Amino acid sequence: MSGAPATRHLLLLFTEVFANGGIQRFNRTFIEACRDQGVCCTVLSLNDTEDSIARNPSLPNITVIGFTGNRSAFAWAAFNHIFWHRYDWLVVGHINFLTLAVAVLKIAIFHRTPAMMIAHGIEVWSDIHKRRGLALSQLQRLLCVSRYTRQRILDQAPHLDPGRLRVFPNALAEVWRNVPAPPVSDVLPERFILSVTRLDAGDRYKGIVTTIEALEMLADKAMKYVIVGHGNDVAFLKLVVARCRLQDRVLFLRGLSDAQLINLYRTCAAFVLPSGKEGFGIVYLEAMYFDAPVIAAGEKGALDVIRDGETGLLVRFGDSIGVKNAIERITSDLPLRARLRARGHALVEEGGPFTFSKFVQRFADAIELPN
Amino acid sequence: MCGIIGVFDSAGVRVPRVTFLSALSLLRQRGPDDSGTWSDNNIILGHRRLAIVDLSPSGHQPMESPDGRYAIVFNGEIYNHADLRPELSASHHWRGTSDTETLLAAYRRWGVHCLDRINGMFAFAIWDRHERTLFVARDRMGVKPLYYFESNGRFGFASRPAPLMRLLSDGTLGIDPEALRVYFELGYIPAPLSFHRGIRKLSAAHYLLINAAGVRNVRYWDFRPIGPDPSMSARPEAELVEELDSLIRSAVKDRLMSDVPLGAFLSGGIDSSLVVAAMKAVGVVDPKAFTIGFHEKAYDESSAAREVAKHLGVDHIDETLDVDSLLGLMPEYVEQFDEPFADSSAFPTMAVARLARKHVTVSLSGDGADEIFGGYHYFGLMNNLSRITRLRPKTKKLVRALLTVMPFHRAKLLAGAVNASDVVSLFHYLRGVGKDYPAIVDQDIMRSTPSSDTWFEQYAASFAVDLTAAETGMRLDAGFTLPDFFLQKVDVATMAFSLEARCPFTDYRLVEWAMRLPVSHKIRGRETKYLLKKVLCKYLPSPLVYRPKRGFSVPIAQWLRGPLREWARERIYDDRLMSQVPLNKDLVRELLHQQLTGKRESHPLIWSVLMLLCFVQRHQASALQTRPVDLEVA
Repeated sequence: MSGAPATRHLLLLFTEVFANGGIQRFNRTFIEACRDQGVCCTVLSLNDTEDSIARNPSLPNITVIGFTGNRSAFAWAAFNHIFWHRYDWLVVGHINFLTLAVAVLKIAIFHRTPAMMIAHGIEVWSDIHKRRGLALSQLQRLLCVSRYTRQRILDQAPHLDPGRLRVFPNALAEVWRNVPAPPVSDVLPERFILSVTRLDAGDRYKGIVTTIEALEMLADKAMKYVIVGHGNDVAFLKLVVARCRLQDRVLFLRGLSDAQLINLYRTCAAFVLPSGKEGFGIVYLEAMYFDAPVIAAGEKGALDVIRDGETGLLVRFGDSIGVKNAIERITSDLPLRARLRARGHALVEEGGPFTFSKFVQRFADAIELPN
Repeated sequence: MCGIIGVFDSAGVRVPRVTFLSALSLLRQRGPDDSGTWSDNNIILGHRRLAIVDLSPSGHQPMESPDGRYAIVFNGEIYNHADLRPELSASHHWRGTSDTETLLAAYRRWGVHCLDRINGMFAFAIWDRHERTLFVARDRMGVKPLYYFESNGRFGFASRPAPLMRLLSDGTLGIDPEALRVYFELGYIPAPLSFHRGIRKLSAAHYLLINAAGVRNVRYWDFRPIGPDPSMSARPEAELVEELDSLIRSAVKDRLMSDVPLGAFLSGGIDSSLVVAAMKAVGVVDPKAFTIGFHEKAYDESSAAREVAKHLGVDHIDETLDVDSLLGLMPEYVEQFDEPFADSSAFPTMAVARLARKHVTVSLSGDGADEIFGGYHYFGLMNNLSRITRLRPKTKKLVRALLTVMPFHRAKLLAGAVNASDVVSLFHYLRGVGKDYPAIVDQDIMRSTPSSDTWFEQYAASFAVDLTAAETGMRLDAGFTLPDFFLQKVDVATMAFSLEARCPFTDYRLVEWAMRLPVSHKIRGRETKYLLKKVLCKYLPSPLVYRPKRGFSVPIAQWLRGPLREWARERIYDDRLMSQVPLNKDLVRELLHQQLTGKRESHPLIWSVLMLLCFVQRHQASALQTRPVDLEVA
């Protein structure tokens, strides 16, 4: 535990901090909010390694301890921290840690640390059985990244006090605002659509196959598709690309710098991720910040970010015909394109609901920081 | 129902007329009543007609639009064409009453979006002289087939592969290795694959636009994103029964459009009984219903069909055969399937088609209901087994080991299912016919080609979210097994006798409704087609509805040990023939030996091999008459 004096001291149990992915980005933004508010915190991160922690700049009053995926070591450390120390808040970053955390809190009779949990998405949409439901009822707060996630928890655990469940959406990380931005072209960008996502077989719900099928149907044969990401499903996706005879139009990229990614966001014809199970969809906000018109599926957490025809275009999940039509609309209807870009951008510009400053306000409110 | 063919050449190189006519003649049985050709600079179209609607010469095809801009060849029926005519009348002066003319006018008016307006079974091609573009489309559920090839600026299409093989004279034809593997996995070859290298099947609900710039492949309708509608669960069951009954009656009524005699197949099962009941309900007087019965009780359902027919008061025509007499259909079976097809139920389907054709030209069929309303037992099994797919690898290994040592065949089958990593691969395992096939297929092919489950995975990636395992299985069956297995079988078996089959359960409105229907109304406990049976209870007493399901199967295993023994041996021990196929002939012979001596039951796989050999034999004979064809694997 850091010894620096602070108004509040938090213990964060996170799955991972320094990697790509929606949960990881949320965790980083949460830690940034701690720093911003001068809150001292200790982060136990199950999957981070010493290397990944060392590669990132240290923050004042923030201690991150990585366990390289060692569950036993993580559990033992969590036990010790929760049992022996009194924190102002224990923040459980994943429902898989909940039972352990609540059990230890129960036996830590010397102190009463209040606890909250972050509910991201898919991990809480099902399988909240009796034991987990009971553990959830022991929490003072439940921070849900979207309205859908909040509702799913209440559907499964109706005994919970709805007042304890707060919608706590993610925000565009400040880091994006500090990356030197490449110049923006005034003309319609070079014709390619863009997806940025994890490419694991378990993540087929991201809608990449649907988008490949949509690309095959487009009349505009010059339109390309750039897929940024990596995972164990790339070989399968390449097989789909070959079957659609699109080898010369689909490009798989990985390991890009932030500046390179920003360039893609800024120059793509559309950011397309018709995902069926986004807990929130932080990647949509990133695309919006860099003025990419967004196409998403009207499912679950994405609905908190995208209003059809206003901040993006929504299609049904799995609807390749709908994705094709949406791409054609965005590339042919310039006023629509301009509107989507402007209103999407407004969501993450100062005053918008998904800015870091709004996140900090929600954070301060959640841990009851004095004004 | 007809046969269509055409060739577009972007460079204007014409197909020799004699070659084209020779290819067209291979469609004779699909259309015995009339034939015609039409050509322009870059294109030639051909048509064989089975006259069903508008028997006059005004229904002749290929048909030109009045202004000469468009020409069409069309196979199928547009059931709502009369409803479309008033809207089209302002811009079209009608010359006859055929649905072909309506379709042509609809394309003139709405372009490719005519597909959103029409309801029917179809495969057609429309040439636009001004745009120099060919538009080729296939119906939503894949009732009517369409094959095509593209090669060096040339595009050809036809209702079956045989005419295309005759048109392709560059010697590039051969067996598609991926199709060969898939055939041994599934017993059929799903679109877009075809058995012939260079020839593809147009997938259901797709159209192609072909011009000098190339070919564009577009899906125009898709049931995959439609998920179960929770609000339907909240509705009273009686209301759902009424709604479904109304949809079925509407689909049947639409399919009564005909200027020739019309009847229905009646097996005595749920689906065909419902179709016949609906025919009566919408006012068909004394509809004719056709049943094939067998002297052997184990295969005979004709008594059930008779009871249903009697209760409904329909004109029931049945024929009782010896099961072995189905063997007499072997020449048609081999002749009509242009791709190897390993489902022996094609025999009884051909027999009932032959019977029906003696009395009618059109027959309604219950195909399609099992796939969309949950008629197969393995859908329930999938729900139960899907939990196993989520086990940790170590636990799976243990379960598999335990099941493998158990002395029951079912335990061993279950052990295979435990290997499945997800619901889609579980479906692939349960639906596969030749589970031992990898050993007999050439190992180079096994290494270099993907398994058919990758097609299933690709297809399922666009399914609505949060489906149960059973719903996933139904959608995969509706997307693959129905069009390329069952509907293909019905199309080929009926066309062999110039009979048109119509399938009310493939009506897209019914399919969309079924996709919204929660699974609890399809499978309840061990009961399948729950709601469909409730509808049938409106027309039949319960004992006639709730009877054990019996498939249309034939005794292949007994045939192989009996009347087909020598026939099978001749082919499998023919070195020259076996050398034409990329199979391990020693293993195949060992399998046959074990089958014949009763040591092991491998008849699905052996039957698949025999159908492949028959296909190769026929292909060789055909090639001798025309040109040398390379049968080597690519």
